[in-house]
Amino acid sequence: MNFTADFQSPMKITSTDFGPASGLSSSIMEKLMILTDAAKYDVACTSSGVDRQGDGTGIGNAKSCGICHSFAADGRCISLLKILFTNECIFNCSYCQNNCNHDIPRATFTPEEICTLTIQFYRRNYIEGLFLSSGIIGSPTYTMELIYETIYKLRTFYRFQGYIHVKAIPGADPLLIEKTGFLADRMSINLELPTSSALKKLAPCKSRHTILTPMRQIQKGITENKNELISLGMSNGIVKSSMNISKGTIPRFVPAGQSTQMIIGATPENDFQIMSVAEGLYQKFGLKRVFYSAFVNVTQDSNLPALPQGPPLLREHRLYQADWLLRYYHFTVDELLSEDKPNFNIYLDPKCDWALRHLEYFPVEISTADYKTLLRVPGIGAKSAKRIVKARRGSRLDFPDLKKIGVVLKRALYFITCSGRMMYPTKIDEDYICRSLLSDSSQIPKEIREQEYRQLSLFDDVSFSS
Amino acid sequence: MYVFQCEDSLDGILTGVYDAWASHYGHKNIQLSSDKSGEIMLFNQYITVIPDFEKSRKVSRTLIRRLGIPFYETICKCAMADGNCKKLSMDKANAIYQAIVMALALPEGARVLEYLAQPCISCIFQLCRQTDNEAHYMIEFIRFAELESGILFSMIHPKNNVLPVVAEHFTNRFPLENFLIYDATHKIAGIHKVQKDYIITDASELNIELTKQYSMDEQEYRRLWKAFFDTIAIEARINPKLQSQNIPKRYWKDTVELA
Ligand code: SF4
Repeated sequence: MNFTADFQSPMKITSTDFGPASGLSSSIMEKLMILTDAAKYDVACTSSGVDRQGDGTGIGNAKSCGICHSFAADGRCISLLKILFTNECIFNCSYCQNNCNHDIPRATFTPEEICTLTIQFYRRNYIEGLFLSSGIIGSPTYTMELIYETIYKLRTFYRFQGYIHVKAIPGADPLLIEKTGFLADRMSINLELPTSSALKKLAPCKSRHTILTPMRQIQKGITENKNELISLGMSNGIVKSSMNISKGTIPRFVPAGQSTQMIIGATPENDFQIMSVAEGLYQKFGLKRVFYSAFVNVTQDSNLPALPQGPPLLREHRLYQADWLLRYYHFTVDELLSEDKPNFNIYLDPKCDWALRHLEYFPVEISTADYKTLLRVPGIGAKSAKRIVKARRGSRLDFPDLKKIGVVLKRALYFITCSGRMMYPTKIDEDYICRSLLSDSSQIPKEIREQEYRQLSLFDDVSFSS
Repeated sequence: MYVFQCEDSLDGILTGVYDAWASHYGHKNIQLSSDKSGEIMLFNQYITVIPDFEKSRKVSRTLIRRLGIPFYETICKCAMADGNCKKLSMDKANAIYQAIVMALALPEGARVLEYLAQPCISCIFQLCRQTDNEAHYMIEFIRFAELESGILFSMIHPKNNVLPVVAEHFTNRFPLENFLIYDATHKIAGIHKVQKDYIITDASELNIELTKQYSMDEQEYRRLWKAFFDTIAIEARINPKLQSQNIPKRYWKDTVELA
């Protein structure tokens, strides 16, 4: 793989004029609204995974923790200018409002318009960068070309060094995907649905094959790029990234990694199936993030569930919690779910649920338990576990100290001892602990509190969707 | 007990550390205080510390040399925090003094910062977290407006003195912009000129009217941003409670989209 050659070759850029500075035409406003509305069901909006200092010649930098800039009325983070290049689309995915059978207003940006909006929003600290996706216009390769052209311009002409997340368009020329990967921080291809049969039914123009092929290509690109950087002793291949593409340094390929998204609740898969797919993506495709998007029925297609109670938000929430357990808490899907118990408990978060079914591991002694054991205690997060391990070297920790450290005692107290003592006399008994945990109504998700949850028996395997 | 009363600033507190150390009253008999409103106790002797840049610099140098930069940064962040928090068990300046005494006395040095069961360390931990959190909020939520002169202007109202952290962030981010961030709580400004480092300066005389003379494009970009902000929300998921949990109400007035 030759990493530098592509950057030397001059790109032809069709310069469409943005118009005189003062008279931003109303059509920009229209386009922005149409193409934002069309992009909003893609849930990924993180700007994390890469640390990059500005090099002083342009604008922007990146922080690996990610930075949100606002929160929309739905409470979701706004980090990136999330727009489509166009909402024209030749495909007919039945869950998508942009599908070609729909009669909706259509719009298409020019690369220049996107660059100007990105830079002007960024200077005002509205955004952390750009998230560019697109409907399929002409062909997948042609669409990818437009995306490439846009971010090429943004990176070179505007010397933008902030965060860029772009979609790889399934079926596009691999060379274009590769060139784009050297300009973007993150790339994503949405898996859309957890099983290939569901995909066939709802997105007949897509297939597992066209989705997984570019995903594999990007994974390989990332690994090769890291190895090359390591072999040159330039970095550990993980953090610092340079935008000095003109100065002959080795550019980074998708340094913030790859992500994907699955739609939840449009098709009948259970949580066990969904989490197993996610686990496979982390392990076999090296994905950085899997996002779960509670299905919102925008097309009223007869193939799709109507969902009169609204999108399955609680279920989505549980999947994110479980995803977190996979990525940071060393859990495997098999520990959390099984064929016999294929869905998460709606009353308890997946970690509490696991702990209650494994009381043989508890109580855990705070002064001696190792880091991984502490991680499994409900109410102890990764940060608090690290702090406990360090702080107990200085002196004995007691319950009030744990509270200051950040442990959620009202959850943890059933599962821990400090110097052999429990916080209150309590039974290590599944029913007892469960009842005590649930007597604190803040533990119970709002969605359930508002239903008459008492009518359901506690460990019923209630399905979320229905 | 000898109580050294310091000004509530990094220089003030570090001068206090210097004076207390030099006094030879013995660490056990010394307290520092940065709280002017604190009640006066009968058997205490009160000593007023006059902030002295040289003394403060000497203490900084010693801390960096003996305990390393991360330790020093922690102390700075703690000093920048608003110490008027009711939940604190200890005065901010006193916590800093005790932590320094402890770190210099024990073989593990800077690692004493991990001993969260120690009252002074737990206090420093809380205050640092307070500063870090607010600095992060500021970096997320401050908004710049382009003025007629091309300068980017921003006004903020932080509780803690986070302007240095914020100005540093934007200096790296916007090397080719002239910008001014005005901290209206502490009446100071962070000023950055193209390709220079930033400076923090007293801004009690700032003419607020001048900061309202926007460039021709400014209103247009605000409109575009608000339109984006309104459009990106998914109607079926509207959740005002979650929204105000994520962006606390007190920051709304300095944004464009929620003001
Ligand atoms: S390809 Fe499918 S999901 Fe993507 S915009 Fe077109 S119709 Fe929508």
